[in-house]
Amino acid sequence: MTWIGKIRRVGRIVEPAPAAPEPTVAPPTGVRGSLQLRHVDAGSCNGCELELAGAFSPVYDAEQYGARLIASPRHADGLIVTGVVTHNMHEPLLNTLAAVPEPRVVIAVGDCACNRGVFATAYGVVGSVADVIDVDVQVPGCPPTPDQIVTALRSVTGK
Amino acid sequence: MTTTVLPAAAAELGEGPRTARLAREAIASGLATTLLGALGLVLGVVAIFGPTRHLRIDWLLPLAGVRFDVDPLGGLFIAVTGAVAVAVGIYTVGYAQREHWARFPMVVLPLFVAGMLLVPAAGSVPTFLLAWELMAAASLVLVLSEHNRGAVRFAGVFYAVMTQLGFVMILLALVLLSAAAGGDAFTTIAAHADDMSAGTRTAVFVLTVLGFGSKAGLLPLHAWLPKAHPEAPSPVSALMSAAMVNMGIYGIIRIDLQILGPGPQWWGLTLMILGAVSAVFGVLQATVATDLKRLLAYSTTENMGLVTLALGTASLLSASGAPDVAAIAMTAALLHVLAHAAFKTLAFLAAGSVLAATGLRDLDKLGGLARRMPVTTVMFGIGALGASGLPMGAGFVSEWILFQSLIHSPPDGNTLLALAMPLSVGAVALTTGLGIASMVKAFGVGFLARPRSVAAEDARESPMSMLTGMGLAAAACAVFAFWPALVAPALRGVLDALPEVGGDTAGVQLATFLRLPGIDGSLSPALLAVALAAGVLLAFAASRWGARHRPAPVEVPLWACGAETLSPRMQYTATSFAEPLQRVFDNVLRPDTDVEVTHFAESQYLVEKVTFTTRLADPVEQRLYTPVVGAVIALAQTVRRAHNGSVHLYLLYGAIGLLVVLLVAQ
Repeated sequence: MTWIGKIRRVGRIVEPAPAAPEPTVAPPTGVRGSLQLRHVDAGSCNGCELELAGAFSPVYDAEQYGARLIASPRHADGLIVTGVVTHNMHEPLLNTLAAVPEPRVVIAVGDCACNRGVFATAYGVVGSVADVIDVDVQVPGCPPTPDQIVTALRSVTGK
Repeated sequence: MTTTVLPAAAAELGEGPRTARLAREAIASGLATTLLGALGLVLGVVAIFGPTRHLRIDWLLPLAGVRFDVDPLGGLFIAVTGAVAVAVGIYTVGYAQREHWARFPMVVLPLFVAGMLLVPAAGSVPTFLLAWELMAAASLVLVLSEHNRGAVRFAGVFYAVMTQLGFVMILLALVLLSAAAGGDAFTTIAAHADDMSAGTRTAVFVLTVLGFGSKAGLLPLHAWLPKAHPEAPSPVSALMSAAMVNMGIYGIIRIDLQILGPGPQWWGLTLMILGAVSAVFGVLQATVATDLKRLLAYSTTENMGLVTLALGTASLLSASGAPDVAAIAMTAALLHVLAHAAFKTLAFLAAGSVLAATGLRDLDKLGGLARRMPVTTVMFGIGALGASGLPMGAGFVSEWILFQSLIHSPPDGNTLLALAMPLSVGAVALTTGLGIASMVKAFGVGFLARPRSVAAEDARESPMSMLTGMGLAAAACAVFAFWPALVAPALRGVLDALPEVGGDTAGVQLATFLRLPGIDGSLSPALLAVALAAGVLLAFAASRWGARHRPAPVEVPLWACGAETLSPRMQYTATSFAEPLQRVFDNVLRPDTDVEVTHFAESQYLVEKVTFTTRLADPVEQRLYTPVVGAVIALAQTVRRAHNGSVHLYLLYGAIGLLVVLLVAQ
């Protein structure tokens, strides 16, 4: 049995996808296929990173809904920003955003990114992501579950 | 560069007359070199197509007289040397002024060219040795032109010792030959070559391969080349690397292939092994070299290795009864000598432009020259393309012919051929591949991206005469890349004079289509170039057509991984580019790497600084030369005991010496 034959015989064996959420933003124009996203850690405690990794893992598999994490903002359609924006990451965040071609989408993941979360009064903090750049989608939670992240991504990809 | 005069001091010394004198001298020196070169080119071409010309001047050299016989083989090498000298002479006019040459190197430069032109013209052993020594001494003086730098003096001493050792071997070989033949003219020697004993022939072969091999930069006597070539002024480097090393090849062809040939199979095999090892080792050192001129010098070892491999193949095949393929290998060797002369002249002259403009040879400090010196960059690109052996480069056709001759060895079940040929194919393939890596490094790191130092940032384009000299060499590169048929009649003429290596067979047909009679294979460099150009144009047009609906481009800052701006320190350097290769060939290159971690005094878990140093020396030089030099020094120390400074003792030595002479003479 060749591997191509095996793939054909076995077919798709994933769980059926839950119903698609309401679209929150129109997919950036020009995006016909998958949404390519660059992740920026603006000052996270790495909790959101773990959940983000879970969301793109084989279990939750965000890629089947047309969202991919990529390395270069030059190839990206948008940013995923986690964590509160710290002084050190303020400038790099702006530079990264400037490197993403327009139209683009910014997704803030986690309480810190949405409203400073537990670091609200910390000394090294500039503000939430929305204080610094325009945010299109916010995913609350400390940290948000992979399901919540996947739902938020689907609301952008429309798949 | 070394004699930069401060502006204020220059004004005191009288800038005007000084500059005018320098300009006059530079023009005179460059013009003399160019005229000598042009004369050599014309004489060489005439000699290739005409009958052998003789010239005897009996009074010039006591006892032996000077004798010149210019035949097609010598003519080819005279023509190559002349052509290189024409380009170098024009280049020197600008270079000598920009670098404030002293009067001495300006005088010696034409002499050096004259010496090189006389070597292939020599028709007898004394004349040959005289011309050889003129060439060697003149080049040594030129290497030492910037003798106030220590590195130059060291390189000079190294070069002097090695070139004289080579000369001694050649001297012994030629003396053996003339003694065995009973005459010192090459024609006499050739006539009696078949009567010589096997021992004489073997001794001459070994001595000439060592002596001429050291001049051609073959392993293990290559060590002078990467020292002397970088330290010499660039026009001199170009002459040495593109013309002088050819004299080693000329010597091997003349003595071992023509006069003594066809030799036994092991002669060819020895040449092949020497050539293959030199090619692979040379190119490996070139890939890890960070000094631009050192890289080019090792590339010379590589290319001379390829030529020697081709010569060995021709010799072996002709000894194995396959003269038609031998002629193809011989064509590859001769064509590669010509192509190498063209692209190496160009590369060294371009490197000289960079050196004159920035004072730098270190690739890790260069960069960003493409915007500041556009013409020089294009010129070096043409040279580098030629050296990498890719299509549209000068070295491509000759390397392709060499491959063909190696692949198409006769299938008669000869075990030696069946082993030697595929191994050589592997060696040539490895050499070509690594050659591309080294040239990509030299061009990409040296000329593209951003300048890595203030000197590179302030670079200015070279004056017109330097660009003209490079332009001539670039034109020659274009001929070998696109229309090698232009030199076909010359190669035919030389091959006709070499029946010992299958010169009387059909050989290679170089025309619009390059055909190899006797074996399957054809190539059309010109059409290949047209096809490549058409492909590039098509791809460009298609991408423009595909982009017609895209939104207008927006200018944004360069992506620097989130940092504010890109700095030159973020770029690839020559060292980092070669690092993977250095890792792969760790056992051959033997890098001396040292990592030193300094901790804070308070805690050994906190690192204060990390120092990383890596040194790459020539492993052959370290392993082979160091013990020999050590032994020589030990011997000299022993002998020194006899020299204790007492005049009485020295008088005694003299008396004993006289007695011994008298006794022996009786």
